[in-house]
Amino acid sequence: MVKRVLVAEDEPNIVESLTFLLERAGFEVSVEMDGRQALEAVIRDTPHVLVLDVMLPELDGYEILRRLRADRATRSMPVLMLTAKSQREDRETAMDGGADLFMTKPFSNADIVAAVRRLAAGRAE
Amino acid sequence: MSELGKSGQSGSILGTRIRQRRRELGIRQSDLAGRIGISASYLNLIEWNKRKVAGSVLRRTADALDLTLEELDGAAERRLAGTLIEIAHLPSLSGSGVEEGRIDELIGRFPGWARGIDALARAEQDATARAAILSDRLSNDPFLGEAIHRMLTRIAAVRSAAEILTDYSDIPPDRRDRFMGIINEESRALSDAGEALVTYLDKAEDTDRVMTPLDEVEALFEAHGNRFDAIEKAGGEVGGRLADSLTDSLPLSRAQRARTLVERHMKGVIERVAGVGDAIRTAPGRHRARRALTDYALGAVLLPMGLFAPRAKDLKYDVEALADLFSVEVETVCHRLTALSPEGGHPRFGYYRANAAGTIIEMLGLSGLALPRYAAACPLWVLYRAQQSPEAVIRQCAVFPSGARYVFIARARSAGPTGFGRPRHYLTDMVAMTETESRRTVYGPDPSARVDEVGPSCRLCPRASCIHRVEDPLLD
Repeated sequence: MVKRVLVAEDEPNIVESLTFLLERAGFEVSVEMDGRQALEAVIRDTPHVLVLDVMLPELDGYEILRRLRADRATRSMPVLMLTAKSQREDRETAMDGGADLFMTKPFSNADIVAAVRRLAAGRAE
Repeated sequence: MSELGKSGQSGSILGTRIRQRRRELGIRQSDLAGRIGISASYLNLIEWNKRKVAGSVLRRTADALDLTLEELDGAAERRLAGTLIEIAHLPSLSGSGVEEGRIDELIGRFPGWARGIDALARAEQDATARAAILSDRLSNDPFLGEAIHRMLTRIAAVRSAAEILTDYSDIPPDRRDRFMGIINEESRALSDAGEALVTYLDKAEDTDRVMTPLDEVEALFEAHGNRFDAIEKAGGEVGGRLADSLTDSLPLSRAQRARTLVERHMKGVIERVAGVGDAIRTAPGRHRARRALTDYALGAVLLPMGLFAPRAKDLKYDVEALADLFSVEVETVCHRLTALSPEGGHPRFGYYRANAAGTIIEMLGLSGLALPRYAAACPLWVLYRAQQSPEAVIRQCAVFPSGARYVFIARARSAGPTGFGRPRHYLTDMVAMTETESRRTVYGPDPSARVDEVGPSCRLCPRASCIHRVEDPLLD
């Protein structure tokens, strides 16, 4: 079965790269570029993995994560958070909020594909 | 006595200086001895630091060498020796074989080089202090935060597209063109963002040392060497009116009376001093400067420098003993210490006041001692824990990652109205001095004293294992 990945990211050029990479890795990729629509899409489509940027218009990544973890239907959805902030507190906020993995920009393509693969397989180690 | 103590306190530079100066002037040893009125062999012992020289012989030697007493037996060299000892102990110099035992010789024979080393070390300290300010700004400036976020995002887009072009040889031409386009587009945007950042930082160049009202006040005091002669003079005149209250048993009443006198008679001079130069640029800065100068004026009235300076030296700068002696509050003494002139042979003191939230509300800093105003400061400073033991003077011997050593003394005091059942609010006053200079005070640590490893702030502190770290270091 092809695993579905939702990329919630508002930078079109990063979306372009992520889409290419994840499709090449065998995933079915959908994209949302604003936080509110991303949350609706997650609830509607329940992707296997959510790649979630922190800085999204309308609703930021932390708030989306908080709502997902508060809802029984999406509580265990694997989430990889992306941010250009590398402060320890940002990482802690993401991990405390229930993110499975956290990556900072600029990231390596190999790392991000490997991370999504791990989450899709049900392992976040 | 340790090597450190010997170098810092002995007059062993003096003989070397006499020898050096005599040679510069081309005077023979026997001729100089004759002019001074001592034997040539005794002068030889003095020149090789085997005999001490003082009193009238020293004065005659200075005259014969066409130097002032201060130039010959100057405190400046002793301070320089203290600084060079600190430099010799810097971790970055460990293993480089610095001849600490020959510092006196270095100063005596190569005074220019010695001052040059001191200047370089100070420049390094200033750079660290400046980096602390920029680090603060980096953490808190919304423009910078946004600019860096945008730049990292663009770098991510460039890197990812470049890796795709390198790693996937079978990309269809239209997508290859698209990724090339992304690199081109994002590189241009990155270049623009970098330029904007440089422009922003350039504009900030002349103001990055003066960013808050607190900075403005500090700049004002720094520009005057922490000493305002006009206020000292006016304070001396006004202080005469305090004489009839010298026998008051309650220090507060004397302080209150002094404050009334300052407000009644010294407002004009305070306004004039605050308006001199360009240190004070904003209305909040002016307001804060008035407050700080009023505190200064209170010190000038309650602790006239002519009386205070010699007694401070006698009592080795013991803030509690001085407060008792002059019937003033300890914090008034702490503040007043900063006005003592290093040229008068006093240590240089810094003064900090923090509230219970840890916010610095007054600061007359020491050059090179960086304390963040609004970023996460190092919580290990005694300034932030003195409130656990109100009214007690607590000493802290602190070593910074650079190897710089300071001695801090802090005391928390109740501020504002109190009464049964009412909450108490504490302010902490802290005096800072270099460890070398602390040896001239009652607070000089003995060799067994505990030394706390502290930092300027987490962003600038490389101590990776510190359990109190709340932010990652700027540089690993």
